[in-house]
Amino acid sequence: MRGAPRYSWARQVAALLVLLALWEAAGRAGMLNPLYLPSPSQIGAALFDLFSDGRIWPHLEATFTAALGGLALGITVGVVLGVTAALVPLIAELLEPVMTLLNAVPRVILAPLFVIWLGIGLASKIALSFILVAVLIFFTVFTGIRQVDRRMVERVITLGGDRWALVRHVYLPSVTAWILSNLKIAVGFAFTGALVGEFVAATHGLGYLLSFAQSTYNAALMFALIFLILVVVLLIFGIAGRLEKYLLRWS
Amino acid sequence: MLHVRDLTISYGGEPVLEGASLAVEDGRFVSLVGPSGSGKSSLLRAVIGLQRPLSGAVETGLPRSQVGILFQDDALLPWKTARDNVALGLILNGADGRTARADAEAWLARLDLAGFGDRFPGHLSGGQRKRVALAQVLALRPKLILMDEPFASLDAIVRARVVKDLVALVEREQISVLLVTHDLEEALSLSDEIYLLSQGPRGRITQHYMVPIPRPRDPVRSRMHPAFAPLYEKIWADLSRAVDPRVEAA
Repeated sequence: MRGAPRYSWARQVAALLVLLALWEAAGRAGMLNPLYLPSPSQIGAALFDLFSDGRIWPHLEATFTAALGGLALGITVGVVLGVTAALVPLIAELLEPVMTLLNAVPRVILAPLFVIWLGIGLASKIALSFILVAVLIFFTVFTGIRQVDRRMVERVITLGGDRWALVRHVYLPSVTAWILSNLKIAVGFAFTGALVGEFVAATHGLGYLLSFAQSTYNAALMFALIFLILVVVLLIFGIAGRLEKYLLRWS
Repeated sequence: MLHVRDLTISYGGEPVLEGASLAVEDGRFVSLVGPSGSGKSSLLRAVIGLQRPLSGAVETGLPRSQVGILFQDDALLPWKTARDNVALGLILNGADGRTARADAEAWLARLDLAGFGDRFPGHLSGGQRKRVALAQVLALRPKLILMDEPFASLDAIVRARVVKDLVALVEREQISVLLVTHDLEEALSLSDEIYLLSQGPRGRITQHYMVPIPRPRDPVRSRMHPAFAPLYEKIWADLSRAVDPRVEAA
């Protein structure tokens, strides 16, 4: 927010508080149907309930496990496939159409298929999260390696570097930089995969709770969950941003 | 030290360079001057092994690590500090990390960059980056350095300083240099010998001059040597004809 007027955050917070107060007042005046739009205090109470009896923890754990598992797996496989495709033309020839197709369609359509294949447990959520992340990372790495600065490659060669030195000193750091600059998107994708997967069929997770809230017409719970997911993702974004800033401090 | 014989280079179509022969003897500073597109850079790339020639031979009698090259655009690794960039060449040639970094620090200091070892290239000025690239090459203790207009991107004052330091180092360490440039003044002020290359495609070496200015040299002062102006005029006339054969020498 460089260049923003001073204390703009204070005005933003104030505006938010005013909005919440109006919302609350309208709710208490009976102007809003709590079935559709519960008041902030009702949402707060629902949120408090989730934590006070501790029943939220297994769900948070399930979603985090699925998202982070899918993220790790997706990055690993995406990098391996991306590097292989960039180095071996035959692999690129075979992989690129598949990846392009997977990139073009909304990959969440695979969610029901994964449930059939892998059951309603954690595996199907990890799979969905994985496929969302892997395709993104594949293209990041694949196009990235083809755009590596030739001059850097030639510099390392003329300094006496072999193929391995190129991989270690040029390609790997380049790949790391591209992944880091896409890390926030990947994190978003990973959580999308986990949540949608849970939404489709699950016994645990924030997505499952959302679908439960929907089927029981519990709008307060739904708002509480949406708020919770926002906070969680913002937190992860913050961590990813810090990591990116530190590891890309040279740029 | 370096012998290039009858070198022809092509990127598929008409050769950019044809039948080029030249020699750089021990401790000599040799320039190859020619217009843009005459195949100067291609010749250097062939010497260092980045470009396979269509025909001809390159002999250096030196191990690869003793031939350094400086490009116009320095290509330091942006994710490595100045120190690690300099150390990289040493490590790639078998030095252990600790020794390499200590050696790198010493070379940075020698090139006026003491205290800048921890900086990343993105946080250095153009002149500083050029010095790091120079340190990277010099740290390998080359016997021969190839230069492809390495100072073109620097402003005049920074350029004069870097060039002066370079000349002093090259003279002290008895390093042979092959510089390609289109800057005749720079070539004359630095070199012992100059080869002239005609306009490409099919660029050819057309002339070979000796520069009778004694060493050690100050690159700026050598421009005031009595031999400078007449030779400059002669080469300039030849160069003009090399660019456009219709131009008559004045």
